[in-house]
Amino acid sequence: MKRWFLSAALAAFFGFLLLSVYVRQAVLFLVGIGLGATLAAARFGFTTGWRQLVTQRDPSGAAGQLLLLALAALLAMPLLGQFPELQAALGPPSISLIVGAFVFGAAMQVADGCGSGTLYKAGLGFPLNMGILPLFALGSFLGSVHLQGWLALGQIEPVGFVQSWGVPVALLVTGALLLGLAVLMRLWVGAGKTWFSKRWVWGAVLLTVFATLNLVLAGQPWGVVYGFGLWAGKLVTAAGIFDPTANAFWSQASNAKHLGESLLLDVTSITNIGILAGAMWVSMKRSDSSANSQLQSLTAKQWAVGLLAGLVMGYSSRLAFGCNVGAMLSGISTGSLHGWIWLPLAFAGTLIGLKIRQAVFKDDKAE
Amino acid sequence: MKLLHNKQSLLSLVFWLLLTAFIVWDFAKSAEINQREEPPLIAAGSGRAPTGAHCSLPK
Repeated sequence: MKRWFLSAALAAFFGFLLLSVYVRQAVLFLVGIGLGATLAAARFGFTTGWRQLVTQRDPSGAAGQLLLLALAALLAMPLLGQFPELQAALGPPSISLIVGAFVFGAAMQVADGCGSGTLYKAGLGFPLNMGILPLFALGSFLGSVHLQGWLALGQIEPVGFVQSWGVPVALLVTGALLLGLAVLMRLWVGAGKTWFSKRWVWGAVLLTVFATLNLVLAGQPWGVVYGFGLWAGKLVTAAGIFDPTANAFWSQASNAKHLGESLLLDVTSITNIGILAGAMWVSMKRSDSSANSQLQSLTAKQWAVGLLAGLVMGYSSRLAFGCNVGAMLSGISTGSLHGWIWLPLAFAGTLIGLKIRQAVFKDDKAE
Repeated sequence: MKLLHNKQSLLSLVFWLLLTAFIVWDFAKSAEINQREEPPLIAAGSGRAPTGAHCSLPK
């Protein structure tokens, strides 16, 4: 497909959103395109960055993520302090979060992509990630169905740094914690490593811009997982195999409303579609054979394991109150304690996931 | 190799057709959008709490 044809199709969809939906949703679609194009062009893979850090002692990807967290927090926290109507990504510290983050960290390495990674790689045309996406959605839906049961195992109220301590202290604490992570990374990788490479740096800067736009426009931070669960929820509800009124999560007024109205009104759905489209737009320009070679190289067993990991990733991301985007980036940058619980647990899970990945996929190379 | 590339392109085409069909189906079956309920373009400073859902929320 020619790039001009895709550009025209995206412009037509934008016009449709503008005229038939809401102006805000149309602009958020553009924000999603920006996110997807940045993720794809910079190959800003959260999963890859962690894998490079562990297997190659290469800090560049993880340092790019630290930069993203710092920049996003520098913008998001003052905004939250200034505009009380803006919502932080406040998930409850809970058993559900602990289990979900650990399992998610493992599954994302096996599936070779987190929430945003699955989206942008599917947009780039990677066959496994295109196959994972519907299973991620199904897993996310199943996680939401079981969420109240998981929460019953134990939880405390969400803790927001900005709400608890004010903007200056929240920024100082967040900065100190990020600096602590950088020190731990330095101890692990040793001296003489290149910490910042261009693509990770400009990727972090642009993602910060688009994530902040998401917060300012939508009033809520960037997220991925809710949209996926909603898509699967709509399908199973329409098929008559799920009664949302009998479920604690989907019978909530806001969730029931989302099930009944167009997904084009849902913030995360519209940015998810934008991310897919933005990545596809990038794929039209670059000459990339890796999507083709993935189709050629994967065995049936690797397909099965990868798809299963996608399902697990969806389920666990719902339990963890987000993926690398909703829990880690949005959680930490908006001062949520749950983001700081999520990160070390997901990293611990990643260490297990890398073992599984090496056993099944016989490699530890970055994408 | 060309055959593989075509197969991958075909998979991408199927993926996008299915996604488009899903969006169209959902739009057709869902409640009509009332544009008089349109939220302000910029939530910050609007004084209106966001109505969207987020994965960090337990409900």
